Amino acid sequence: MDSDVDVASPLPESPAHDRTPSATRPDGGGGLRAAARVTSHALIAGLPVAVLGVAAIVLGPEISAGLDNRAVAAWRTVFTAIVIQGVPFLLLGTVVSAAISAFVPAWVFTRVLPRNPALAVPVAGVAGAVLPGCECASVPVAGSLMRRGVTPAAALAFLLSAPAINPIVLMATYVAFPGNPWMVTARLVASLLTSVVMGWLWIRLGREEWLRTPEGPTGHTAGASRAEEFRVSLQHDFLHAGGFLVVGAAAAATFNVAVPHFVLRLFSDSPWLSLPMLGLLAVVLAVCSEADAFVAASLTGFSPSARLAFMVVGPMVDLKLIALQSGTFGRAFALRFSSATWVVAVLCSALVGWWLL
Amino acid sequence: MKRNIQVLLLLFTGVGLLHISLLTDLYLRYVRPGLRPALIASGVLLIVLGAVSAARDGFPFNRPRTDHDHGHDGHQDGGHQGHGHDHSQGPRIAWLLYVPALTILFLAPPALGSYTAARDEAKAKAPTAGDSLFPALPRNGIVEMSLNDFSSRAVWDTDGTLRGHTVRLTGFVTPGHHGTWYVSRLAISCCAADATVRKVRVHGATAPPADAWVTVTGTWHPTGKVGTDDASPALDATAVKRVPAPKDPYNDAVPTRPGR
Repeated sequence: MDSDVDVASPLPESPAHDRTPSATRPDGGGGLRAAARVTSHALIAGLPVAVLGVAAIVLGPEISAGLDNRAVAAWRTVFTAIVIQGVPFLLLGTVVSAAISAFVPAWVFTRVLPRNPALAVPVAGVAGAVLPGCECASVPVAGSLMRRGVTPAAALAFLLSAPAINPIVLMATYVAFPGNPWMVTARLVASLLTSVVMGWLWIRLGREEWLRTPEGPTGHTAGASRAEEFRVSLQHDFLHAGGFLVVGAAAAATFNVAVPHFVLRLFSDSPWLSLPMLGLLAVVLAVCSEADAFVAASLTGFSPSARLAFMVVGPMVDLKLIALQSGTFGRAFALRFSSATWVVAVLCSALVGWWLL
Repeated sequence: MKRNIQVLLLLFTGVGLLHISLLTDLYLRYVRPGLRPALIASGVLLIVLGAVSAARDGFPFNRPRTDHDHGHDGHQDGGHQGHGHDHSQGPRIAWLLYVPALTILFLAPPALGSYTAARDEAKAKAPTAGDSLFPALPRNGIVEMSLNDFSSRAVWDTDGTLRGHTVRLTGFVTPGHHGTWYVSRLAISCCAADATVRKVRVHGATAPPADAWVTVTGTWHPTGKVGTDDASPALDATAVKRVPAPKDPYNDAVPTRPGR
């Protein structure tokens, strides 16, 4: 990927330009003038694209030759794929979270959620069903809930349950396991159980200092335009979470290319080992929660409980989520929370799998 | 990250997404076709966001901020604490987004191919149960089949519906050990990270170069005891023809062509 960075370096806008402040432009002006300004800025912004395009066309063959190694090519494809499929969901999540920050008053949450945190946890867990999307979307939303004063335990329960129990994911699970509707029920129950248990665990054992309360634009302040606040927090959250998505995608792509899958099949015979093995596979593969049911279905030879563990762990703990969480809540939190969630998720899958499957 | 660099990044990402989803079919190398509307919407949203930000913050030069911008301006080059989580400027970690943004614009990586297919064993999908799972094949002429269908029948179909038929399979070439080769496909359910391998060993023809797309015409080559894990899909080839790579390389379905 180095050569990509090389391409990026001759950007016309080097930070040095910042030191020359241009004159303050008057803020007023009709919609027409604003539109003209946006257009002219867009044209100016198109210039670097054109310059880089020419550079890439001229230097393209050499750069491509350098990247021709087949393993490198596979890594780049998987890396790009994870980022691309993550971006729309990340954007959805940041739009929702920016809207919560800018437009939803704080009293809404205190009114909707029970005051007692122990009761708020299951309510928030069930509320996860309303956010359609995969796990990339839930991290920024949970962060903005915390900013608006929702108790962390409830926001964390929401963070865990949202990507696992929303209708889109459950539908995908139903399609992936034809003739086995119990798998859908088991996934719903095990995911909800895990998220509620984790919320309660946080009330009992969690410490404030582990959790870096998400900074950033905090709600509506008097005197500022709401639309402007929405834009600023959308831009900040998207760029911030997007950077961590890139880190997570790079880690997941490395495992994807470096670890042959048949290694995992060696463990498929032992029911006790296969559960944590598929739990680990879910962490390193970092498959989107809307797709992991299909991957689980393709893991023939594993017990149903082990496949359930794959689908319960995947949306809650994986490499790109750990990266996203450490960006939003801090590394101290992400490592402790993810490892605890992993253990709880595997145990819940074993329990629910033994009961239902 | 300075605000003008952020604007540039938003625009690059937006243009990149539109480039692979709206202007070309490159997105099919990475994600499933159903994600296209979401990609286009994301691209448009990012470009709008970038354009509005360019107008509000000043571009290419930062506009000095007024008082109620509550500290979102960047004069001090902070961000010394780890991940650049410093709100006086944009997040420094966002620089990393330039890598995929510029990659998809200018150096789009190829679709996954024989490297990935060679590393994993293909697992033919076992039928769930029942008799009508493998309907009889048409009697006349060459039967075009997906690799998935052929593999399932070759491994699990104890009724032998493949027997006596000439079939045609399409896929790319994956070299095996000692001069053997496979016609193969990768199937994805969401993105290239979850690709699963389908491959059929080809007998009786010399291997075309790796990753070349071919149609292989031939008859079933029984291997192992059908209905157990010992069986593996294989074909006695009578003809191998090079074909252009399909638009969606991960779609292992029979091309709908009239005739034949």
